[in-house]
Amino acid sequence: MESIIEVQNLKKSYRKRKSKEYVKAVSEVSFTVNRGEILGLLGPNGAGKTTTIKMICGLLTPDSGSIKINGIDNKDKRLKALRHISAVLEGNRNLYWRLTVKENLEYFAGNRGLSRRDVSVQVEELLVKFNLKGKENELVNRLSRGMQQKLAIAVAMLADSEVILLDEPTLGLDVETGYEVREILKALVRDYNRTIIISSHDMDVIQNICERTVIINQGKIITDDKVENLLRLFDVRAYTVELGDSLSEQQEQLLLQKFPQHEYTKDALKSMLSIDLAKSGEIYELFDILKLNNTPVEAIDRKTINFEQIFLKIVKGEKQDALAKPS
Amino acid sequence: MRWLNLLKANMRKEYLELKRYLPNTIAMLLTFYIIFLGLFGTIHFIGDPSTQDTNIQYVIVNYIFWFLTITVINSIGYEVINEAMRGTLEQLSMSPMGIWRIMAARLVSTTLINIVIVIGLLYLSMATSGQWLNIDIMTIAPILILTLISMFGVAFIIAGISIILKQVQAFLQILQFILMGLTFVPLSLSPVLAFLPFVKGIDLVRNVMINGISISQIGMGDFLILGFNAIFYFAVGLGIFIYCERVALNKGLLAHY
Ligand SMILES: Nc1ncnc2c1ncn2[C@@H]1O[C@H](COP(=O)(O)OP(=O)(O)O)[C@@H](O)[C@H]1O
Ligand SMILES: [Mg+2]
Repeated sequence: MESIIEVQNLKKSYRKRKSKEYVKAVSEVSFTVNRGEILGLLGPNGAGKTTTIKMICGLLTPDSGSIKINGIDNKDKRLKALRHISAVLEGNRNLYWRLTVKENLEYFAGNRGLSRRDVSVQVEELLVKFNLKGKENELVNRLSRGMQQKLAIAVAMLADSEVILLDEPTLGLDVETGYEVREILKALVRDYNRTIIISSHDMDVIQNICERTVIINQGKIITDDKVENLLRLFDVRAYTVELGDSLSEQQEQLLLQKFPQHEYTKDALKSMLSIDLAKSGEIYELFDILKLNNTPVEAIDRKTINFEQIFLKIVKGEKQDALAKPS
Repeated sequence: MRWLNLLKANMRKEYLELKRYLPNTIAMLLTFYIIFLGLFGTIHFIGDPSTQDTNIQYVIVNYIFWFLTITVINSIGYEVINEAMRGTLEQLSMSPMGIWRIMAARLVSTTLINIVIVIGLLYLSMATSGQWLNIDIMTIAPILILTLISMFGVAFIIAGISIILKQVQAFLQILQFILMGLTFVPLSLSPVLAFLPFVKGIDLVRNVMINGISISQIGMGDFLILGFNAIFYFAVGLGIFIYCERVALNKGLLAHY
């Protein structure tokens, strides 16, 4: 596939206020995004997501490294590169609160050199898509946070750029609007062939919308892989076993030897055993132990670990070697 | 075409915001008018009766220009600060038109709208004082245009500084009085003053409006100075603005939150 964004070796430090010290916000970031792809940029607060996004949007000059958009270097040819990009930055404040919904859309389009006539059809379409029809003449400061966020996304859509970056698009929204914004994003991905980068500290958002995710922590990329691969990696090897009887002393001893990190809860009717095969042992060894007393196995379930748990483990540094290395 | 659309969009925004902030706009005009009344009254009741008329005429012209410089130069500073806090400055900076072009469109829009207001104030002041000045459009227009261009240069410097310095508000307060000095100072004080931004232009306009000078009576040399100032201040202003933009991009200052 053809790449539309190439980010190479980005580094950025900020100077701390009133001191000579520097904070390393981003120190080793390289990735590419393919045309039409939806990439998630996932990381905890302070990981460097916003900094990375602002560098791609030409709002922050990297200390070193390069960013190419459609082959155009965004440092040498900043304005030319910006033609291919639009973004919704953190929060919902990047709108004019004393202008109405429609006036905001038209004003931002005007600042890209488009006339009101040029965008009139698209404005109508976006108002409908974003459920803002009927609110077009409402002042932005009277809108709910969710609606403001939707409007900010609509403003970015109206720029008609191939690439759209969304920095924490669901941050600070209540559950319901967060869900609505997510559905809108999914629809956008489906209906328009745009390349989208979404940053979030919320794994749910990424898991829901993105195909691939770059995980970033402390300014460095930890992994760059398909979401499904990441899920599979952790999903496959953890099991919960439901036993029809409790284990004997000997079985418990053996279990401790072969699977030192297992969890076992004893109950007269139903004992539960959790093991993670990624950490130790083999499933056959488990059966050997169970077979000693012919302990009845009622059920074996593959434990579903959600992305959040995976993410926490990755960030904590477990599982490093098993991961796809960032390119 | 893109330029024109950019200008139209900014004209419309300036106009809409002025309308939405109508109470503010009215309060501002009222303040202006009350201060004018104060000055007028002082000259009228306390001043030397033999120079009274000229003094009042001076005050009208100077005061009107002071109003114009404040609304163009000071307000771009406040606008930049507010938009940096709002986050809209970042949004504007992502436009492929470039932030300086947007700022230029803003300046032109604010100026055009405020010139309409200024004309209203001018007639109000003239009517209040009964001093009718010589409004010779054909002579005033070329002088005013050249003067405004140098004013835009200064506005660009203020806009640039407002992006990169966080504690600029205090300076903007002082700036009002610096602008007052520049609009009130008579050129007769020292010929060097002609090379300060807009001092020469306002002096010429005063000559037209108070002494009834017409365009044929203004020398080529005067226009050369105006032209030089316009080019010099605009170029320097734009250069400083673009430099400030670069600093802001390096340090991440486009958003202050
Ligand atoms: N303008 C700034 N000045 C100083 N430090 C900053 C600034 N912006 C971000 N940082 C620091 O850089 C690091 C990365 O921040 P950021 O990119 O905002 O992370 P994220 O968006 O992933 O939460 C953090 O440690 C943050 O405190
Ligand atoms: Mg962030």
